[in-house]
Formats: sequence, structure tokens, C-alpha cells
Amino acid sequence: MARIVILGAGISGHTAALHLQRQLKNKHEIVVVSPNSNWNWIPSNIWVGVGKMSKSQVTFPLAPIYRRKHIDFRQAKAVAIHPEGDASESKGFVDIVYTDPTKTGEEATLTYDFLIVATGPKLNFAATPGLGPEGNSWSVCTANHAEQSAAALEGIIDALKRGERKTLVIGVGHGTCTCEGAAFEYTFNVEHELRERGVRDLADVVYLSNEYDLGDLGVGGMIFAQNGFETSSKLWTESLFRERGVRAILRAHVEQVDPGVIHYEELDGSRHTLDFDFAMLLPPFRGVEMKAYAKNGDDITDELFAPNGFLRVDADYASKPYDEWAPEDWPKTYQCPRYDNVFGVGIAFAPPHAISEPRKSPNGTVISPAPPRTGMPSGVMGRTVALSIVERLRHGDQAKLHTASMADMGAACIASAGTGLRQGSAAAITMFPIIPDRRRFPGSGRDLKETSGEIGLSGHWTKLLLHYLFIYKAKARWGWFLIPE
Amino acid sequence: MESMSEVDRNIAEAPLPTKGTLRRRKSLGYQMTRFVAFNFRMLKMVTRAHH
Repeated sequence: MARIVILGAGISGHTAALHLQRQLKNKHEIVVVSPNSNWNWIPSNIWVGVGKMSKSQVTFPLAPIYRRKHIDFRQAKAVAIHPEGDASESKGFVDIVYTDPTKTGEEATLTYDFLIVATGPKLNFAATPGLGPEGNSWSVCTANHAEQSAAALEGIIDALKRGERKTLVIGVGHGTCTCEGAAFEYTFNVEHELRERGVRDLADVVYLSNEYDLGDLGVGGMIFAQNGFETSSKLWTESLFRERGVRAILRAHVEQVDPGVIHYEELDGSRHTLDFDFAMLLPPFRGVEMKAYAKNGDDITDELFAPNGFLRVDADYASKPYDEWAPEDWPKTYQCPRYDNVFGVGIAFAPPHAISEPRKSPNGTVISPAPPRTGMPSGVMGRTVALSIVERLRHGDQAKLHTASMADMGAACIASAGTGLRQGSAAAITMFPIIPDRRRFPGSGRDLKETSGEIGLSGHWTKLLLHYLFIYKAKARWGWFLIPE
Repeated sequence: MESMSEVDRNIAEAPLPTKGTLRRRKSLGYQMTRFVAFNFRMLKMVTRAHH
């Protein structure tokens, strides 16, 4: 009997665990290690952040699901990987520290035959002084953060009702952030809420981002075919900002967040301040802090992990200029090159480079989005690696691995712009492929037939449908596997 | 402030949706057809992503 250890129970790790259990039944042991007791459908945190959903509607406890599926769940965080074992253990193993309230701080080791690193990101609020709920701004990265943001927003709405003018700044809190789509969503959900509550005229809503242009969204922008014309996501997004009266500050790196004042640098090197009454600024991501050791105890963290803390997989990490970036740079199997029984999926794998064009200010500050790899691609990666491990268990080490390169994968992104079954709205976007391929698709690098964007009520219905479908799937209810990632 | 004014100018010059477009974005009948069309497109894309 083999043991498969999965570090992380987010979209990619949880998907991998469920597919492994379904394929392997109880013939092999599946262990999930996650410091969190709950699963969170993160895309709906936006709605928690404006008070339209409660925390309990976007989270559920993992333990009962894993008990029902005979998956061993350890509420703990992994602190080190020993891929070669050590002097007394021939198998690879991980060191874990329990976060389970019944044994908090207890240490243990877990040997493995296969390891999936799906730890997601560390929310790196520390990269910007004053950033985050423990500083001077809010976040919607977790359900708890979103709840705090909703409470703060309610206070602002009360002040607006009293006739006070307020400035609300929503965006990203560092020049290297990703997830601009989430900041976009929260901006328009807040704007929608202010209108619904009749206080929009007293509020100045500002979107603050590291994107070079609106509509970049960390994927270098998109070109859509609409009404016989090729339209850019830039123009399309600018139109929405004009229609909804939202200001934008782009090409910005937030340097510091003081109480009521954001300090930021622009791409031209100039420095500015922006006063605010409410700020929701997403943090940059880095890999979770995990060490790696060779059999003799040597520290091999730098060999296993990239400098940003994410796991190196089968990508081409050679440094090259933007013009030479190629779809082949992106990983296909998510297998660690040095240890073929270790895989990295979701946000935890180290991307070879960004998707948007990299830019630096004259002061040397990087101001360009990191590549998004959440949601649908994360789920597909989790399933792909699970199937590869199943193949290896059934057919031995030479079994062909499954592939899921982001250069050969499309994505759908539903960016909510307000809730309500009759009054809701969302920008519904599809793109293929995620990584532009200008050899296959000259010009934009994406298939114009498969890349589309539209705004309307139906986008909101779709986002709501996905909310219920993916929570159903994550709860592993009847027929869950029929719902594609 | 140069880039900020450029962004402001781009937003100010962006096309606004017509009344007809705004109506269609909220029209239940029209949006139902868009809902079906978009979900079909998404399903096709998802199916293509599963090797």
C-alpha cells in the first residue's frame, strides 16, 4: 500500500485528494495536511466582503468530508520536506506541526511514496509596511478577512448616510501582486452596494493597481471579437470604469500604508500619496515557508524552491527577455525535476515568468502583475497530477504522466460587478490559451473564437451557479466528479 | 502624474454603452439566452482542458 501525502486542501489539493480517492478506493492511503479546518470557495469572498453572503455560506468543515471519503486528514502545517529521507528513514517524509486545537504545536513526521505540494500562497502583507488587516487596510483573501472588510464598509456607509464625503480605495498593495481580477470585482461590488444604499454620490471610488493598462488582469490583456471588430480588454474595461464613475490609478507600487494615507510609486519613478477612508488592498503572494533537506541533512531549500518560495517543477526557469518567452516555458506535468515522486500544483508551483510584460521604474522597482493561476487552472492541475499518480501506481515508474499546460488550457473568469438576481452584473470572460501563443495565434496570441467578454446579468447568474456547483463538488456529494474542474 | 492623467483621459474617452445595450444587459429574456450561450462556451473550454 502506497501513501500519498497532499500538502494543502485548497482548490488544487482538495481536487487531487478527491480524484485520488475515487480512483484508488481504499487500496492506497491518502493523507491531506492543511493548517485550516475549513474549505473556502474563495471567489465568493467578494460577496462576503460587501455583506451579501455570510462566512458560513462560503466555507465548510473539511474533517467530515474526509472522514466520509476515508481520507486521513491532519490539521497541521508542513514545515520541512525530506525528499530523500534521512539516516534512519529511507523514504521521503515531511515534518508537520499540528494546528488542530486538540494538539496545537505537536510535531510529527509523515513518510510518503508520492507528495503533492498544493499549499497555496503565503499572504505576504509584510512586503508593504502597514498593509493588511493587522495594519491599516483590509483584505478579502480569506473569509475572515472578507467579514472584517464588510464590517468596515458598513461603517463607511453609515458615515456617507450622515452626509460625510469618503474615499474608498480598492486594488493591490504591492507592485508584484497578482489577482487583479479579485480587486476589480471588489471595486465594482462596493460601487454597486453604494448605489443600492443611495450614497454613491458622496463616495469617491478609486481602483489602484500595478497593471500597465486596465483589463490587463495579469494575463497581458485580451483581444475579443465583438460586433465585427477586434476590441481590447483595455477599452472594454475603461468603458465600464467610465459608465460606473470609478477612478483608476495604474502602474503603481504601494510602498507603505499609513492610517488614512497610501504612499505609492508610479512606473515613471514619481512618488505620490493618496488619502483614504477605506482601503481594501490585496497582498503579494509568496510560497509558504517550508524548508527542504537532503539525506545527509544539507539544506536544499534553494534547489527545491524558487526564490519566491514556490516549488520548482518541469518549467523552463532560464532567465530570458520578454520577447523570447514561449508557451513551452510553462510546466506540463508539474513534476519536480529532481524528485519524480514530488509534484507542485495550483499557486504552489513556481511559474517560469509572468504573463504580462515585465516593467521596472527608474528606481528599479518591479511594477507588473505576477501570473494568476487560481480557480479553474488550479483544479485542472490537481486532477491531472492525481491521474498521473494513479498511472504510476498501476503501471510503474515508466507510466506516461498526464499533462495540463496553461499554454494549452483555456480559462473562464466571471468577474462580479454587483449582486442581485435581477440587478446583478458580471463581466464574463473566456480565454484560450491562458498563456499567449503568438506562433499559433498571430497578433494577440489567443484564439479569437475562444476568447470573449460580455457584461450583463447572465454573468452574475453564472457566478452564482458556479458558487453552488463547486461547493457541491467540494463536499463530494453524489456525482461530484461529473462537474468538471 | 503624467501616467495618471493618461489613464483618466483614456477612461474619459472610452465608449459608453447605449441605452439599448444597458437595457439588454438587464433584459431577462436576452440574458437567459446569453446565460445558455456562455455556459455552453465555458463547458466546451473545460472539456478541452481535460486530457
